[in-house]
Amino acid sequence: MTTRSAMRQLTDIAYPALVFIVSIVVWEFGARAGWFPPYVLPAPSSIVARIGDTADLMLHHAVVTSFEIILGFVLAVIIGVALAAMIVFVRTIDKAFYPWLVVVQVIPKVALGPLLVVWLGFGFLPKVLLAFLLSFFPVMISAMVGLRSIDNDSMFLLRSMGADPIKIFRHLQLPSALPGIFGSMKVAITLATVGAIVGEFIGANEGLGYVLVTANGVLDTTLIFVALTWISVLALVFYGAIAMLENMSVHWHVSHRSRAAQALA
Amino acid sequence: MTVQRESAPTPAGTDNQIEVKGLNKRFGAGDGVVALENVDLTVRRGEFVAILGPSGCGKSTLLMITAGLTPPSSGSVVVDGKKVTRPLTEVGIVFQRDLLFDWRTVLGNVMLQADIRGLDRNASREKALQLLETVGLRGFADRRPWELSGGMRQRVALCRALLHDASLLLLDEPFGALDAITRDQINLDLQKIWLATGCTAVMVTHSISEAIFLADRVVVMSPRPGRIAQDVTIDLPRPRTVEMRDTPRFAAYQATLRDAIMH
Repeated sequence: MTTRSAMRQLTDIAYPALVFIVSIVVWEFGARAGWFPPYVLPAPSSIVARIGDTADLMLHHAVVTSFEIILGFVLAVIIGVALAAMIVFVRTIDKAFYPWLVVVQVIPKVALGPLLVVWLGFGFLPKVLLAFLLSFFPVMISAMVGLRSIDNDSMFLLRSMGADPIKIFRHLQLPSALPGIFGSMKVAITLATVGAIVGEFIGANEGLGYVLVTANGVLDTTLIFVALTWISVLALVFYGAIAMLENMSVHWHVSHRSRAAQALA
Repeated sequence: MTVQRESAPTPAGTDNQIEVKGLNKRFGAGDGVVALENVDLTVRRGEFVAILGPSGCGKSTLLMITAGLTPPSSGSVVVDGKKVTRPLTEVGIVFQRDLLFDWRTVLGNVMLQADIRGLDRNASREKALQLLETVGLRGFADRRPWELSGGMRQRVALCRALLHDASLLLLDEPFGALDAITRDQINLDLQKIWLATGCTAVMVTHSISEAIFLADRVVVMSPRPGRIAQDVTIDLPRPRTVEMRDTPRFAAYQATLRDAIMH
């Protein structure tokens, strides 16, 4: 049994790695054989070499974009959950604001980009705002659903213990909502990345989105691929960080149990 | 745990912990569904009363109204001399479902009672472990609820209801979902704990034998509208044993209660 499970672990890594290596080799061979011109698709080796050459400069742009993403995302989580709590707890806020939040959600936020530039200039702020606007709605909706999905008996149980609304929120509603909130955070982080990059497209003088636009302007396809690589790595790192945080905070949830059981088996 | 008493502790009529008078409960507007009609019930301090009836006879509603968790349509409930107008907090409640929180350990679930009430954590922890010991779950204190069987989970819920030494224990069909063997065992545990604490207990059940086994008095309710059909005092010695179920007296109570339910 152990050899079989060890075998499975090996193939789990080996198969996807094999697909990756074969694709890269074919790509490299194609580039060298002249199947396609380098301004359409540069060779992997030249992209890697360029990544090395531009590391310092790109790191600066990556840091700028990271800050935009992180700030927009953190704002989205904090305001999304807070707004959800307010909507769930205060009927007036629910009635007065919820329809408008839906209207705002229906507007394609990316289309607001130029307006944000007019209002806030070419700096940091419009990108953060765009990242926030794109990512906060899924967090708010998940938090609302989670906070509302409390059965009557659990509520009765806590009331019979003399719990006030704050204690009910802390000990029952928030923990119940947490798995859903983490799920939405995984969606939100990718949306925040889109928001920051698009914000940089519209008007910026630094950041990975800015690099993409300028590289595109001079048909420097290799640099486009370098920027894409950086963006992908950032997105993966952020996603991984959230998945780790999730594992630590909601390890008790059904969705995390099978893995724990597997580890024990 | 030691047995501190042999039968119902206080003399009749002197000290009523619960007084329900002329209670009515209607669900829905207008005529709606009448869940309870003109229910009167008194429970003496330290007494174990079982409310017996088929599903949908309003017995759970009666319990929730008593706990102040559901408002009555008319009539009144007085507990400890005070009219119940908001959720009672000097109670421990065990519900049909165990309502254990997955984000807490077994011990943590029992400790919920202390955390919400702001009780001393160290003392409560000791008490919680003691209670878990009583129901044979001390070794599971650090496990998660989903690792436990249904019977074990309901035992944890029982410990949670007892942590704060409430004078009143309300049990809403707590063992309905358990198999017969587990149910017998948990009934013995409950009797042991009840005898040791001396609290008043009101238990809703649809099991005739469970009602006779545990209660000093069995109140039979008729369905739609829920009314009290009969009030039977169970005069069997304590502590009761599983073997007592095979005695003619037990069988006689069973026949009486079955008749009361059918009519």
